[in-house]
Amino acid sequence: MSAQIPISTFNPYRGEKARLVRAYDYLILVLALFLFIGSFHLHFALTVGDWDFWVDWKDRQWWPLVTPLIGITFPAAVQAVLWDKFRLPLGATLCVAALLLGTWVTRVFAYHYWNYFPINMVLPATMVPGALVLDTLLMLTNSLTITSIFGGAAFALLFYPTNWPIFGMFHQAVEYHNSQLTVADLFGFQYIRTGMPEYLRIIERGTLRTYGQYATPLAAFCSALLCSLMYPLWWYIGKWFADTRYLKSI
Amino acid sequence: MATTTEHVSLSSENPKSLPWYLIDLPKYLKGFGILTVIYVGLRLYQGAFAIEHGLDSTEPAFEQYWMRLFYIELAIIAAVAGGFWGYLWTTRDRNLEQLAPKEEIRRYFTLTMWISIYTFAVYWAGSYFAEQDNSWHQVAIRDTPFTANHIIEFYFNFPLYVILGGCAWLYARTRLPLYAKGISLPLTLAVFGPFMILVSVGFNEWGHTFWFREEFFAAPIHWGFVIGVWFALGVGGILLQGVTRLIELLDRIPDAE
Amino acid sequence: MKVLFKPWLLALLCLNVLSVLTVPTAQAHGEKALEPFIRMRTIQWYDVQWSTQKFNVNEEVSVSGKFHVAEDWPISVPKPEASFLNISTPGPVLIRTERYLNGKPWTNSVSLEPGGDYEFKVVLKGRLPGRYHIHPFFNLKDAGQVMGPGVWLDIGGDPGDFRNTLKTINGEVIDMESFGFANGVFWHLFWGVLAAGWLLWWVRRPLFISRYRMLDAGLEQELITAQDKFIAKAVLVGVPVLVLALNAVTANRYPDAIPLQAGLDRILPLPAQVNAGTVNVDAIKAEYNVAQRAMLLQVSVDNRSQGAVRIGEFSSSNVHFMNAELADVGHMPGKDDVSNNGLSLDNNTPIAPGEQRTVTIEVRDAAWESEKLDGLIKDADSRIGGLLFLYDDVMGKRYISSISAAVIPKFN
Repeated sequence: MSAQIPISTFNPYRGEKARLVRAYDYLILVLALFLFIGSFHLHFALTVGDWDFWVDWKDRQWWPLVTPLIGITFPAAVQAVLWDKFRLPLGATLCVAALLLGTWVTRVFAYHYWNYFPINMVLPATMVPGALVLDTLLMLTNSLTITSIFGGAAFALLFYPTNWPIFGMFHQAVEYHNSQLTVADLFGFQYIRTGMPEYLRIIERGTLRTYGQYATPLAAFCSALLCSLMYPLWWYIGKWFADTRYLKSI
Repeated sequence: MATTTEHVSLSSENPKSLPWYLIDLPKYLKGFGILTVIYVGLRLYQGAFAIEHGLDSTEPAFEQYWMRLFYIELAIIAAVAGGFWGYLWTTRDRNLEQLAPKEEIRRYFTLTMWISIYTFAVYWAGSYFAEQDNSWHQVAIRDTPFTANHIIEFYFNFPLYVILGGCAWLYARTRLPLYAKGISLPLTLAVFGPFMILVSVGFNEWGHTFWFREEFFAAPIHWGFVIGVWFALGVGGILLQGVTRLIELLDRIPDAE
Repeated sequence: MKVLFKPWLLALLCLNVLSVLTVPTAQAHGEKALEPFIRMRTIQWYDVQWSTQKFNVNEEVSVSGKFHVAEDWPISVPKPEASFLNISTPGPVLIRTERYLNGKPWTNSVSLEPGGDYEFKVVLKGRLPGRYHIHPFFNLKDAGQVMGPGVWLDIGGDPGDFRNTLKTINGEVIDMESFGFANGVFWHLFWGVLAAGWLLWWVRRPLFISRYRMLDAGLEQELITAQDKFIAKAVLVGVPVLVLALNAVTANRYPDAIPLQAGLDRILPLPAQVNAGTVNVDAIKAEYNVAQRAMLLQVSVDNRSQGAVRIGEFSSSNVHFMNAELADVGHMPGKDDVSNNGLSLDNNTPIAPGEQRTVTIEVRDAAWESEKLDGLIKDADSRIGGLLFLYDDVMGKRYISSISAAVIPKFN
């Protein structure tokens, strides 16, 4: 299918053709924006969902492990097409930005205006810095291997420190009825969720502290390893879906 | 949105003088507008009646405000599917061998608009109303597969994007030579994969009925939806098919200012 | 497309017209959909009371009561090793400020013991004005929600009056309604602007067809300029440095941050209140007559107390079937979950101290059907459960038994 054009005969589009291909760009951009808000958000909400919805799910063990691991999927798949075929180093940032747009609209209109949850209880996490690193690293190295190992790791390792300026303050301790809680826990206790009992949270509940209570870095490095594997896996998934074959029958 | 070769001459007389390749742009924008009105309308309906009458499926009010909406949705979905798909099929181009490059380019633009309308519907179904499901089930105790958000999400939004995806698939199959000669694998994946999300509703409700009574959104019983939406990545292949063909077609038409 | 979409709008309009017809407002929260054997044989609520049902925003209301954890816990329901006493509300129109189990404050989940007796109290504060139907209920891990009795609460006043301030351990006073919101929005905007900047940097130039063509023609070097590379290097180095610096600043600002607290609260049951051994009741047989909507319970009563007792009430799944012969106990006219004449006995004479008697209790009321409790006969587990209340009028005592038996349906 590829239209091979020798360098010597290459003529850039001008006039109407230039306008036409630009119009096509805009159509694709609108298409892609809603596509990635819709698809990446559904994928994310049904896998990371609860950790991202609620302030009292953002723990040290699971949140920094699960979020980058699931969050690196669509960015890798979209980069596989946009970089490989167009040399556009924006697949990761586009996916993450689209996800955040969809998330914010929902948090405001579905949680706050419909069901009265304060927005500060349902603030989303951001993966923008990790996505920027993925895009720029892929662009500068043009290497799937280097982007997988270092980009994937950076995507995971940057997640928690990126979000600590947003959520750190919710981890201040409060003495509440003879017990110690974080402000985040208190949101879960006070702002009633009929369908979300405390025990449902999949959060760090304490375990053998072989490594001296360094829970977050351990979770982040575990996530870094997994993201380094997840990235190439999803790169190839993206490639597989971007097949251009026409079949005789389905 | 669908036109055949004969319409080109008409469209070139359009007084608003849109470029020939964007002749379906007004219909495309109206499609966005109408979908926005419908989805926002449904959300406003939820805001008005969900807490008041949508918390208990055994109450008579639930039947009146919610199940009635459900039946109306089914009727509309059936009518729209029949109408759109029937129209696209019956007005198919039976003379694709003689399609002029310019008209084929224009149809690629229209196909892109159809897919864009499809992805706009995917946005409402996959993003807004999907996560809103979690919000609503923090308020209502799930006592029916037809909760005040499911009635919108599962039985309207899901079928609607399936219909619109089907429209894109049919448009390509009936009006573009390459899609008519062979069946586009990525377009088929991008339409039929998300269609399986609708099918996954059955798995979801089975799971919630028999073995999962907690409102844990990331639960495995929801992963059928997740796998279905991965197929939306087929749009990358559709883009590549479109770009390569458009490059060929652009080479066949003269340059113009 | 325009023409075909018009019926949709028309349908929505029709729907709005239809919906202005007046219908009763929902009074429950879907609890009837839960299998009756779960509602009857898990958490058995009684003596639930509200301090008031009319109050203003920022004022407190409390609900208190008792519950017995049934001994005959259904095999299909996981044991209540993690349970959470919750309040069903249409969103946080109230906030929960205090919660007590057996007098102890608790905020996390708790393990309940089958056969155990507990008393609870939950204090709530009005947040949004309105009229709401509210229940206390238990979330039982992997089993679902078991509702307590619901009431209507009228919250008056102005939502602007709501205050929810707290003091952290370090002495900072925070407003929970706005805490961290502006900060969160700021950081999202901050990173959002950077993301938008990066995207616009690329989107401003011809994209798909043009770049594909150039790449295909071997003009890759023209697609990524030296300026692009410089910016990318700056982002690649600058963003992680910025992230780590901001993280360090935050860590320095909140040095005493602690992880989310997730321990299971440990609260032991009260001394036996139900099945306490003074008056023993054993269910022998239960028959449900479908046509008459009547449950016939045959029970053996062994009165080991000092006074004569009479059966006054059978309560199951928050429906109270009262013995009309004992008008002075527990009679609650006007409450929709109370059947004042729902219980009758084949022998109403008091059961004397030391006497053992087999009694046939008829519990007849439309509530079996309206509350969907008769669904029991179609369930895989068709055992009934409930609390039987016996009264010693002379001594002013009440004895409670949790009974259960397999139900045999009678269709005619």
